[in-house]
Amino acid sequence: MSKALDAFFAGLAGLGAAALVAMLGIQLAAIVGRYAGWTIEGHDAYAGYLLAASAFLALAYTLRHGDHIRVTLLISRLTGQRRHWVEIFDLLVASAISLYFAWFATRLAWGSWRFDDISQNVDATPLWIPQAAMALGVIGLALAYLEELVRAVRRGEMPPEDATEIARTE
Amino acid sequence: MDAWIALALIIGLLAILGAGVWIGVGILGLAWLAMELFTQRPAGDAMALTVWGSLSSWTLTALPLFIWMGEILLKSRLSEGMFRGLAPWLQWLPGRLLHTNIIGCTIFAAVPGSSAATCATIGKITLPELAKRGYPETIAIGSLAGAGTLGLLIPPSIIMIVYGVAADVSIGKLFIAGVIPGLLLAGLFMAWTVGWSLVNARSIPPADIRLSFAGKLAESRHLIPVVLLIAAVLGSIYGGVATATEAAAVGVVGAIVLAAAQGTLSWRALRESLMAATRLYCMIALILAGSAFLSLAMGFIGLPRHLAETIGELGLSPLALIALLTVFYIVLGCFLDGISMVVLTMAVLIPTLEVAGIDLLWFGIFVVLVVEMAQITPPVGFNLFVMQAMTRREIGFIARAAFPYFLMMVVAVMLIYAFPGLVTWLPGKML
Repeated sequence: MSKALDAFFAGLAGLGAAALVAMLGIQLAAIVGRYAGWTIEGHDAYAGYLLAASAFLALAYTLRHGDHIRVTLLISRLTGQRRHWVEIFDLLVASAISLYFAWFATRLAWGSWRFDDISQNVDATPLWIPQAAMALGVIGLALAYLEELVRAVRRGEMPPEDATEIARTE
Repeated sequence: MDAWIALALIIGLLAILGAGVWIGVGILGLAWLAMELFTQRPAGDAMALTVWGSLSSWTLTALPLFIWMGEILLKSRLSEGMFRGLAPWLQWLPGRLLHTNIIGCTIFAAVPGSSAATCATIGKITLPELAKRGYPETIAIGSLAGAGTLGLLIPPSIIMIVYGVAADVSIGKLFIAGVIPGLLLAGLFMAWTVGWSLVNARSIPPADIRLSFAGKLAESRHLIPVVLLIAAVLGSIYGGVATATEAAAVGVVGAIVLAAAQGTLSWRALRESLMAATRLYCMIALILAGSAFLSLAMGFIGLPRHLAETIGELGLSPLALIALLTVFYIVLGCFLDGISMVVLTMAVLIPTLEVAGIDLLWFGIFVVLVVEMAQITPPVGFNLFVMQAMTRREIGFIARAAFPYFLMMVVAVMLIYAFPGLVTWLPGKML
C-alpha cells in the first residue's frame, strides 16, 4: 500500500515539475514573442494554471520528503509516549483539514465542469481542467496525511522530517 | 468583542502551530475555524475558491523560477571561486579576510534568495580558511552570521516576493528598493569589522602573499559570471526591460548556461534542482494558500479594520508604531519562520499601516530587515541553527558573537526610518 502510494505521489510530483518547466517555456516564449512580434493569447492565464498545478500536484511528495515546515519547538523537546501522542494529534488535525480541503477543491472543479465555467480572460479555458489538478493534488495530500496517521497509530512511527530543509527559505 | 475574537484567534494560532501542526494546513484550519465561528458564510467553498484564485495568479510565477535559479546555482562551483576571487582584494583592509564573509554573502545573497542558504554556502568555504590562517573564531562566526542575513534583503529574495503578493506591492519595485539598504547594511557590517580589527589589531593575522593586479583579476574570474547574471536580472527589472517574472525566467536560463559553462550541469543535477525547487515552492505555496484564506476570513470578520481604528484612536506616532512592530516581529520570530510571519501579519496589518500613513513599499523593506534580525536572535533563529550545525559551538556562543551585527541592523532600521529615501529613491527612478 505504502509503495503504491509512493509511486502515485512521485507521479503527481513529476507532473507538477513538468508543469513548472512548461510554465518556464510559456514565459520564455512570451518574452521572445514580444521582440519577434507575435503574441500568445492569454499566456499569463496559462502560466497561472501551470503554477497552481505545480504547487498542488507536488503537495504529497513534499510531505513525504519532510519539506512542509512546522514549529518544532515543542515536539523536539518531547520524547517517547508523550511525543507519540502529540504527533498523533498533529496528524489528526492535518488529516481532517486536508480532507475537508480536498472535498471542497473537488466540489469546485466539479461545479466548474457541471456549469461549463470558462475563464473570463482571453484564454477562455474551461476552468475544471486546471482546477482538477488542484483537486487531485489536495486529495494526494489528504491521502499522505491519512497514511502517516495510520502508520503512527499502528507502529508508532514518526512523520518524516528534514530539519535542514526548513532553513532554505529563511 | 473584537478584542476577544482577536485574542481567541491568537491563542488558537499559538496552540495549533505550537503543537507542531504543519504551518500551511494549520493556518487553513484556523481560518476555517474563524469563518465558522464568527461569520455566516459557507467556509468550504470560500476556501477552495480563494486558494485557487491566489495560487493561480500571474504575479506569483516569479517565485518558483527564482527558487529554481538558486537551486541550479547552488549546485555549481560558484562559492568555491568566491573566496579565492575576493581574498586578494581585501588584504589591505583592517580585518582582512574577515571581509570575505561579508562581501561574499552580499554577492552570493542574490543567488539563493534565502539567508540560511547564503550563510551555509559561504561559511563552508570561509570558516575553514579563516581558522587555518588563525583569525579569531568569535569575529569570524559573528561576521558570517550577521552577513548571512543579507540573503533576504539583496534581491531576488523569496520573502520579498511573498510580501509583494501578500501586500499587493510591485515585486520589481521591492527588489530594487532592497538594493541600497542591503549595501548600507553590508557597509555597516564592514565598518564594525574594521573597528573591531583596529582595536584588536594583534589578533588579526598578517596579510598573505600579495598578488599583482593581473593576478588578482585572474583569481576573480570565477566571480564574473555570477555578477553578470545578477546585474542582468536586476538591470532588466530596473531598466523596465522585463517584469520580475520575466527576469526570473531569464535568470533560470542564465543559471543553466552558467552551470553548463562550468561543466557542473548534468541531466541528473538539473533534474535534482528542478525537484528541489518544486518541493520548496510547494511548501511555500501551502503557507500562501493558508494565508490567502486567513486574509479572507479576517476581512469577513472585519478584524483588520477594527484593529486599524483602535490603533488610530490610540494616537500612536508612526515612530512608536514602528518601534512596537519591531519588538513584536522579533518576539514572533522566536518561534515562527519569516515567511509565515509576513503572511500572518500582513493579513491583519495593512489597514493599520494605511491609517498610520506608512508606505507599503517602505514597510516591506522594514519587515525584511526585522525578519533578518529575528534570524540571529535566540532561541529560534535559522541562521543560528545553520551556524551551530557548521561550527559545533553552543547557540549562545554564536548569538553573542553575532550580537554586534544585530546592533548594526538596529542602526540600519533607524537609518531607513530617519531617511526613507534610502528605500524609496531608487525604485522611484525606475523606468
